[in-house]
Amino acid sequence: MTAMGRTYIKVAVVWVVTLAALYFFQSYFTR
Amino acid sequence: MSAIDWTIIGAYLLWIVWDGIRLSKNTSEIEGYFLASRSLPWWAVGLSVMATQLSAITMIGTTGQGYAVGMGLLQQYYALPLAMIIIAVTFVPFFHNARIFTAYEYLERRFDAKTRSFTALLFLFSRAMSTGVVISAPAVVLSVMLGLDVTATCLLMALPTAIYTMFGGVQAVAWTDVKQMYLIVGGLGAACVALMLGLPDNVSVGEALQVAGTTGRLKVFDFSTDPSARYTFWTGTVGAVFFFMSYFGTDQSQVQRYLTAKSIDQARTSLFMSAYWKIPLQALVMIIGVFMFMFYVFTPPPMLFNNAHDRQVRESARAGEYAALEQKFGEAIAARKLAAEQLAEALRANDAGVTAARSAAFNAEEKRVSGARAEAVALVKDVTGDSSYNDINYVFPTFIVTHLPVGLIGLLMAAIFAAAMSTVAGELSALSTTTVIDFYRRWVRDDGDQPHLLWVSKLATLFWAVFASIVAIYAVELGSLIEVVNRFGSFFYGSILGVFLLAIGWKRCNSTGAFVGLLCGMSVVAYVTLYTTIAFLWHTLIGAAVVFAVGMVVSELTGPRKPQSAVRIPAAEA
Repeated sequence: MTAMGRTYIKVAVVWVVTLAALYFFQSYFTR
Repeated sequence: MSAIDWTIIGAYLLWIVWDGIRLSKNTSEIEGYFLASRSLPWWAVGLSVMATQLSAITMIGTTGQGYAVGMGLLQQYYALPLAMIIIAVTFVPFFHNARIFTAYEYLERRFDAKTRSFTALLFLFSRAMSTGVVISAPAVVLSVMLGLDVTATCLLMALPTAIYTMFGGVQAVAWTDVKQMYLIVGGLGAACVALMLGLPDNVSVGEALQVAGTTGRLKVFDFSTDPSARYTFWTGTVGAVFFFMSYFGTDQSQVQRYLTAKSIDQARTSLFMSAYWKIPLQALVMIIGVFMFMFYVFTPPPMLFNNAHDRQVRESARAGEYAALEQKFGEAIAARKLAAEQLAEALRANDAGVTAARSAAFNAEEKRVSGARAEAVALVKDVTGDSSYNDINYVFPTFIVTHLPVGLIGLLMAAIFAAAMSTVAGELSALSTTTVIDFYRRWVRDDGDQPHLLWVSKLATLFWAVFASIVAIYAVELGSLIEVVNRFGSFFYGSILGVFLLAIGWKRCNSTGAFVGLLCGMSVVAYVTLYTTIAFLWHTLIGAAVVFAVGMVVSELTGPRKPQSAVRIPAAEA
């Protein structure tokens, strides 16, 4: 896999982690 | 505001002009002037992309939105990283390999001059008007805070921006964007810390957020499938992919940013800076709004955040009515504060039953406060005739000038100016590039005379700066016209994306198919906008889909073009 290919995967992983963190944030403070 | 704060704002304005012009190099040819000779590092381009997108409307309007309704708008940005990956894979290599100045130039190489000129004209028309709005919207608010008139505030933003953009070209724009982005993020961070420190000693940040959470202000996921709902998980992740693809992939104000990068990979990496940081940055902007809400729960807020309107109503014939409302508002504020303190206590005690009861009590008091404020806003609209008055736009600036220490006020005001100026500079540069490359050099004179083209480019920048300033100064009178233009602009956002998708992704598409598709896409989106309640984030998807489908069918009926030129730019252009 090329370096740019790995970057795409990194962007996608960070995206999912960011959304998961926001979901946790919402769940924690609105429980 | 104190002399120190005015000095900070003045020093910022002078420094940014000097710094912008100082850092401009090799601007004796139009490739240097418009594209920095394709030499900028990815991080500078990335910050410039973010600075162009983050306007003062974000700092003022979005913080106000966080204050009034919460963080739901954040969902609009959820698709941005996905859109960036798609753009990095598709648009970026095509644009870079084509060695073009504008996105629309690519359409002539792929289709014909008619498609290029039409899309470029649509861009000029809508972007020029929106640049005026980008100046006027914060200027109307800041003029009240700074005690200046609207015209002076507009010129305070537009004039320095016009000077460094005109003389320094895109390099001045990019390097000032970098500094302005530091200032904006630093200012937002300082405001967030100040708000947290401004909470009462007996209420922690976590408790404050939990209290805000009971009002629904921390709801950042709404899975409603109602197509008319504005900000939901689905509009944010599906509809917004197309919206961001259109903005970052086909709008010259953004395309020009990453055309200045040294290579394709540097351009891609610059876009990924937004992919990583846009959602957290937007979350910071919105949580500032939520913290302001909590701050004003414990510190009595004014009934109206626009003190000029407040004064006007007090001096009007309806002052008595206003005073009665103020008393009602004051009582509701005191009751809300007490309910919030009791709720925070219950949260500390971790008693679910008591917490639920006190949460309901707090929300009931919050409704009383909102109701009283809504009555006050209606009264203001009646008395002043300002039917578009939106009190929430004044919340953040009012907090800055009334609760922050001297020095920090100047810094935050400079940050709001920076947010406006970075957006305006990027747009002026893009308007000038499109005017010169897609119209003047294409239709009037193309003899390669660089000094002449450079002179015309500077003149075009000046022209658009004057045009945007006039729109900004007369924005209040032009209110309905601007709304019409913005609405018209939204008709073709998705349609232009559809044309680019056809250009890049459907090699059998011909110019007739693209042009007919574009007209059909615009018509369908116009219908959807005017006659349905479908949320605007779906409009781009609808427009792009119609253009693509019609373009394919018409191309097949009228005879497809030769396949090879659809996927590969001719060698002479590579």
